Amino acid sequence: MSDNAESPTETQKDDPSIQHAAIEHTGASDEKKKIDVLLKAVGDAPIMKTKKWSVERGRTVQSLAQFISRFLKLEPSEQLFIYVNQSFAPSPDQEVGVLFECFGSDGKLVLHYCKSQAWG
Amino acid sequence: MAAERNPASCYLDERTFRLCCQLFLQHSETIQDGWSWEQIKGTDEGFMKKTLLIPVKSSVLHKQHECSMQDENMVTDDTQANVEDETAGVQAVCEIHAVLRYEYHVLYSFSYQIPVLYFRASTLDGRPLSLEEVWGNVHPNYRQRLQQGPWDTLTQQDHPLLGQPFFMLHPCRTEEFMKPALDLAQAENKRVNYIVTWLSVVGPVIRLDVPLSYSTEVSAPD
Repeated sequence: MSDNAESPTETQKDDPSIQHAAIEHTGASDEKKKIDVLLKAVGDAPIMKTKKWSVERGRTVQSLAQFISRFLKLEPSEQLFIYVNQSFAPSPDQEVGVLFECFGSDGKLVLHYCKSQAWG
Repeated sequence: MAAERNPASCYLDERTFRLCCQLFLQHSETIQDGWSWEQIKGTDEGFMKKTLLIPVKSSVLHKQHECSMQDENMVTDDTQANVEDETAGVQAVCEIHAVLRYEYHVLYSFSYQIPVLYFRASTLDGRPLSLEEVWGNVHPNYRQRLQQGPWDTLTQQDHPLLGQPFFMLHPCRTEEFMKPALDLAQAENKRVNYIVTWLSVVGPVIRLDVPLSYSTEVSAPD
């Protein structure tokens, strides 16, 4: 993933393991290797323009959080929190594929996210 | 009867704290997750406790074909080597696994009216870790943010019930991550077990993971 990505497209290009999933499912999301993730903002977190993503099963929560933080251009001092099942924070080392198996429904994993306010 | 709680409030009364812990502990027992309740003799105060052995990778720079390892800095070196930067010139040659002993205590804070996570850490031969070493073991997901500002500052505090020196994750920002989760659940007409939600967020910061099954198997207190 490029740290200097100026647009989501660049980020996507550099990171094939996270791809925008079209609402009409393409062949990409039929691969067993990827799961569909739906990102929902809570609190005053910025809303992602693109909410639905195809993510490799082996991707960790931490990695996904980093991706979202970059996408949302969060300050280094801002912390992103991700919740599954509305109110449970999965371990950063947890694989999204496992979360999908446990909490996925209708073919997708819903993840809520919020951010802490920047300090100072 | 639903627990009476102002939707905007992230506070936890002591009774609810105990009830949440009881339910938490029942599940821990079921999956052998190692938590126990410690009661202070002669009082009705207590806390949840768990001990973990944590393997720590320690990468050592190769110096003139010899591995030199400074025991005291073992964990600190790990900090630098473990960060995901491919800085040219950093070559991890020897990776030695050390094991650290972390003991976590979940206490109720009357002054903050929320739970607080205390912990102490030592090497297997009993040497307590320094604050710097403990910082080095903060999960990389949080390390940058913590370094920027005291989101959950690690401080050394005497354990309020045992009087021994511990580390503590300062609770002043608890509301930041609890409020969204509590509001979300409320919007879905679900009640959450405060301790499960709270610990799932703060635990991993200092290497304490909460298995996913807590999320579905532990109910909220009545």
